[in-house]
Amino acid sequence: MKDLFIDATERTPAVRFRAESCELSLEGESYPEDVAAFYGDVIPVLESWSESDAVRIHVLVRLIYINSSSMKALYRIFDILDNGRELGKTVSIRWCYLVDDDVMQELGEDFKDRFPDLDLFLEVVE
Amino acid sequence: MEKKIFDLYDREKQLLGEGPQVLGHGDPVELARFARRLFERFAAVVRENEDLTKHADRQERRLFKLNQSLKLQARELDEKKSALEALSDKLAKYLPPQILKAMFAGRHDITVKTQRKRLTVFFSDIKDFTQTAESLQPEALTAYLNEYFSEMTRIALSYGATIDKYIGDAMMVFFGDPESRGEAEDARACVSMALEMQDRLQTLRAVWHARGFQQPFVVRMGINTGFCNVGNFGSDERLSYTIVGGEVNVAARLESKAAPGHILISYETYALVKDLVKVEERELVKMKGIARDIRTFEIIGRSESQLSSEPLIWQHGAGVSICINPGDLSFQDRAELAARLIATAERLSS
Repeated sequence: MKDLFIDATERTPAVRFRAESCELSLEGESYPEDVAAFYGDVIPVLESWSESDAVRIHVLVRLIYINSSSMKALYRIFDILDNGRELGKTVSIRWCYLVDDDVMQELGEDFKDRFPDLDLFLEVVE
Repeated sequence: MEKKIFDLYDREKQLLGEGPQVLGHGDPVELARFARRLFERFAAVVRENEDLTKHADRQERRLFKLNQSLKLQARELDEKKSALEALSDKLAKYLPPQILKAMFAGRHDITVKTQRKRLTVFFSDIKDFTQTAESLQPEALTAYLNEYFSEMTRIALSYGATIDKYIGDAMMVFFGDPESRGEAEDARACVSMALEMQDRLQTLRAVWHARGFQQPFVVRMGINTGFCNVGNFGSDERLSYTIVGGEVNVAARLESKAAPGHILISYETYALVKDLVKVEERELVKMKGIARDIRTFEIIGRSESQLSSEPLIWQHGAGVSICINPGDLSFQDRAELAARLIATAERLSS
């Protein structure tokens, strides 16, 4: 497993993965011009976590805007996390949304419904 | 490590790719296994698709709200813009238009700052205004004074003057800042303005007299060209865009020395407008703070080259009041007036 640090841009979120502490965060807006290229850097890191001996992961999702293609990529990330959970790893997810952002709040609720066995905690932030 | 290419639909595409081989093979065990994978993937895709559709609808809802909010903001901005335009129109009556224009263009400095510049300064004052004011009803005085200032201001602005201020019945105007066409042109514009003002006053006096104003306004004018301090005077809280300096005082003194109904200019101005006017030299003026004796010249008329714009007829006396300024008339007006004058002449001779 390797660390991954991608700075945020106007169209892409900041991505931080610390291999030692097994912490992943996605923060910002997500509507990349090339979703496959952007998330193509993130997904292999998670797959290597899934295949590793790591026993847990803490995930922070703090997105302001996400387009449909990014959402599909996020599904893949959650699939990998859910597979990890099935393998016996501990997965905890903090899904943060801005106080008046009902779109991201409802999307968090959708993910909670779709992945009921994941420990997904919705948190409103200022 | 080679970068793995991520495909959003790689799992679905993989199943689609395997399909023809599994179906062609016809092995029931393989088919059942494939059908189960296909079913699971299909179920996942349907779930994802449901969520994606909901998400897209929410985004659309958010966009609609944003659009509504933008429309509201645009409406509020329009209202603010209209209010600002109305305010600007009101301010325009209190500020020199050149300053207002420069401020709106972001070119006007609003700090306490002045500069020395050679300007042509004009002062005018109504002769015996206090006595005249006492002889008129206040309403009539206000009406005549407003008409006088409106006409003088219109003429001043048409020559590009910067109207510094109105002081009671006096006007203080200058040329050369914030916009200048060069020292000579500024001086010529100022003198031409003063001549037109006196021409217009002749007409106005006749009109006013006809209306019952027994001793209509007679105006003195003084003009000087010299270095002045121009800019924003005052404090950071309250600024006044104006001019100060000895040469400004010279212009004011020339005005007070001018004969009623005439324009008195300094040699410094005369030197720049020699070809424009005919003058007669008047007495020297000495002033405290001004090292030189000031040579003064009274304008007695336009030079030959300028005569075409002089009034054709000016007659004012018992039973007659005529003043015609061809420059103020359109071709149609001239033709109509000529016809009326011919008819009047025929009636008079009969």
